[in-house]
Amino acid sequence: MSHDNSSPSFFQHHFHDVEQQYETSKFGMWAFILTEVLTFAGLFVAYIVYRSWYPDMFVGVHKLLDVNKGLLNTVVLITSSLTMALAIWAIQKNLKKLSIFMLTATFVFALAFLGVKYQEYHHKYEVGQLPGKYYSYMGPEVVEVIKDQEKIDYYTSSNNVYFDAETNRLYKTMNNPHIFFSIYFVMTGLHGLHVAIGMGLIAWLIYSTARGNIHQKYYTPMEMIGIFWHLVDLIWIYLFPLFYLIG
Amino acid sequence: MSDHHITPLRTYLIIASCLFFLSGVTVWVSYIDLGSFNIVLAMLVATVKASLVAFFFMHLLWDDKKNLVLFLMSLMFFGIFVVITMIDTEFRGALGFNPETKNPITKRASFYGQLPLTDTHGYPVDSHDDIHHGDDDHH
Repeated sequence: MSHDNSSPSFFQHHFHDVEQQYETSKFGMWAFILTEVLTFAGLFVAYIVYRSWYPDMFVGVHKLLDVNKGLLNTVVLITSSLTMALAIWAIQKNLKKLSIFMLTATFVFALAFLGVKYQEYHHKYEVGQLPGKYYSYMGPEVVEVIKDQEKIDYYTSSNNVYFDAETNRLYKTMNNPHIFFSIYFVMTGLHGLHVAIGMGLIAWLIYSTARGNIHQKYYTPMEMIGIFWHLVDLIWIYLFPLFYLIG
Repeated sequence: MSDHHITPLRTYLIIASCLFFLSGVTVWVSYIDLGSFNIVLAMLVATVKASLVAFFFMHLLWDDKKNLVLFLMSLMFFGIFVVITMIDTEFRGALGFNPETKNPITKRASFYGQLPLTDTHGYPVDSHDDIHHGDDDHH
């Protein structure tokens, strides 16, 4: 029985044995993952509804996002998922130094992800591709300069475009592009928040593993934070094609 | 805890390679115009990638199956959420309501000052004779 003096220090008395303690933690973690999926589900539903209302606008406006930066972040996040899995593998094999190295690599990749994300956000802020009422972008993708009088007459009479005679600029009206950016910023923003929280948890893991609180016999926190970190990767796997690779 | 399944190093490396490869595939495919099949293919590739992450990186393959059931339940409820919402939003037109009339978008974005107001299909809307969704209703 497990209530004698020989039970390990990490064992909590209300569990039957160490194995049950581990399985219970894991079940609890998956219940948390369920709530996480449902949190993001609301935002995915918003995306689906608005995309079905404005299919052309989504296809047009997504071109304002940088596919290369999105792909770079995908590669960075998958790599960080691999290093996180390897950190758990290393601690299972009692390779403490390798485990700490892999956790540090995961932390660095997470930082790189947020760095790329910051660059993207900063660019969007500069040009005014912002959510809701803050959207003010009128760049080359939505504006054309027209000199031909015949075309000007045609466009002036057309319903889908607006020609400004004073500036000689043609506005192609994409309907409600700010809605795309509202959804983009909320979804990637909440995902980015998860990356930041994950970084804090990984930093704590590095500290605990170095101090010897997490070891071959007891690595439950690392396994659980690993599951959280892979969920962050999993959500990005869907966000990437939905925002960067439309049509 | 020594009796836990330890996934071989080789498995992790193979799965990661598959994920990198599929990321490349999904970007490559997006440049080919397949019409509405593009989104289906993109979601299919994403789901394969997500399954690899869930089963191998998150260890669901070797876990007690109750964890898998919990995860699949979250996806099931997501499906219910989508279907019931879409039954509403997709068929408002059948009741004679334009989605914007039924659920108006407040035209306060700064770029609207430079553009004539348009409805969902890009046709001009005169903001003054719009009796259905004047902003005054919401104040």
